[in-house]
Amino acid sequence: MRRWIIALMILCGVVQANAQQHPGYKPVTDVAGFKQQFATASRQTQSIQCDFVQEKNLSMLADKITSKGKFWFKKENKVRMEYTTPSYYLLVMNGKDIRTKDGQKESHVSTKGNKLFEQINRITVDCVQGNVVDNADFKTTILENAAGYLLEMTPVNKQLSQYFKTIVLLVDRKDLTVNKIEMYEAGGDNTTISFLHKQLNVNIPDATFAAK
Amino acid sequence: MRLLLLNSLLLLCLLTSCTNVYKGLQKTSGNPACITQFRPQFDNTLYSTQVDVMKHHLSGLLFIKQMPDSSQRVVFANEMGFKFFDFEFTKDGQFIKHYMMDKMDKKAVVKTLRGDFELVLLHPDLQKATVKTDGHFHYVVVPTAKGSNYYITDLSCTKLERIEKSSSRKPVVKAWLTDYKNGVPDTILIRHQAFKFNISLQRVQK
Repeated sequence: MRRWIIALMILCGVVQANAQQHPGYKPVTDVAGFKQQFATASRQTQSIQCDFVQEKNLSMLADKITSKGKFWFKKENKVRMEYTTPSYYLLVMNGKDIRTKDGQKESHVSTKGNKLFEQINRITVDCVQGNVVDNADFKTTILENAAGYLLEMTPVNKQLSQYFKTIVLLVDRKDLTVNKIEMYEAGGDNTTISFLHKQLNVNIPDATFAAK
Repeated sequence: MRLLLLNSLLLLCLLTSCTNVYKGLQKTSGNPACITQFRPQFDNTLYSTQVDVMKHHLSGLLFIKQMPDSSQRVVFANEMGFKFFDFEFTKDGQFIKHYMMDKMDKKAVVKTLRGDFELVLLHPDLQKATVKTDGHFHYVVVPTAKGSNYYITDLSCTKLERIEKSSSRKPVVKAWLTDYKNGVPDTILIRHQAFKFNISLQRVQK
């Protein structure tokens, strides 16, 4: 799930960010131990099914747009993200095949020859291996509190940094799955996605990952 | 043969591009200001949006907000939060581009989008406006730098049929604002006539 969430964040394009303060968090003392746990949990997670709430915060407008939907992940490389409100939108990633569908049209996103998607693939591989925190495209700081971990990822790669300034992943301490993604833009806007009611390792039919 | 070709071209020209589609309009009495009743009362409005430009298709959410200083902000982002543009239309008619994604940030694109949304926001300068008719509809004609904008209503100006942004002879953009609820149209459609560039907005609950 972690790798696809990160891939998703890049798909979103979005984000650059400002230096964030994280009250209540302190640096992880055993970074190597965390990385090992993170990789182990990644290997053990066969599927995830949950709801999500996305908030696009428009700072200059002092307003936000809230979207909701359902999320499915199945190993090795299948993701379905279905927005239900305020309007319908479907994103399905099945290996290298990425499809989107809105109220009017179904589209196929080609990864061939697209540098950004090449980088997504790179991140994907890193996540499969459980070493996303070692990804050279990001400078990652790992913090923790009683509830979980906070990964602050700052792109060092020029292309990625055009989209992201800082990406924050909030990771559940119990199952090491991502609870929330916070993506920060240079202009002050940010997008957060919270994952709720998670069910791990439930049976999800492959047909779920067809763009229907 | 050459003469036939020339005649054919002239005929084609007369029948199509050279024709002034507004030629038959007659001046009539009426108050141009009546069209201001169709000005959308955007407060904090969200539209599910599809944009088709040539072979490309974009979808997302368009957010229109009336700011405390009476300016209007128009922000378009895809469903996942990726912002395409953020425009401001000030109370005195100025335009400010706060953000435009790199790939779209071309002068012509910005100018086109600005023009399209100015039509929809419906703040025409009516000082030189006139009212014409074709017998079926009223045309409130607002002169512009390159032609005119036509605000087409029924004869009693109770319903907005459509808006046409035109060159001196024919429409280049048509816009339909329909299904008004509490002063805000539920559906907005903008169609460019010379090339495929359509914007379709359907209001959704924020």
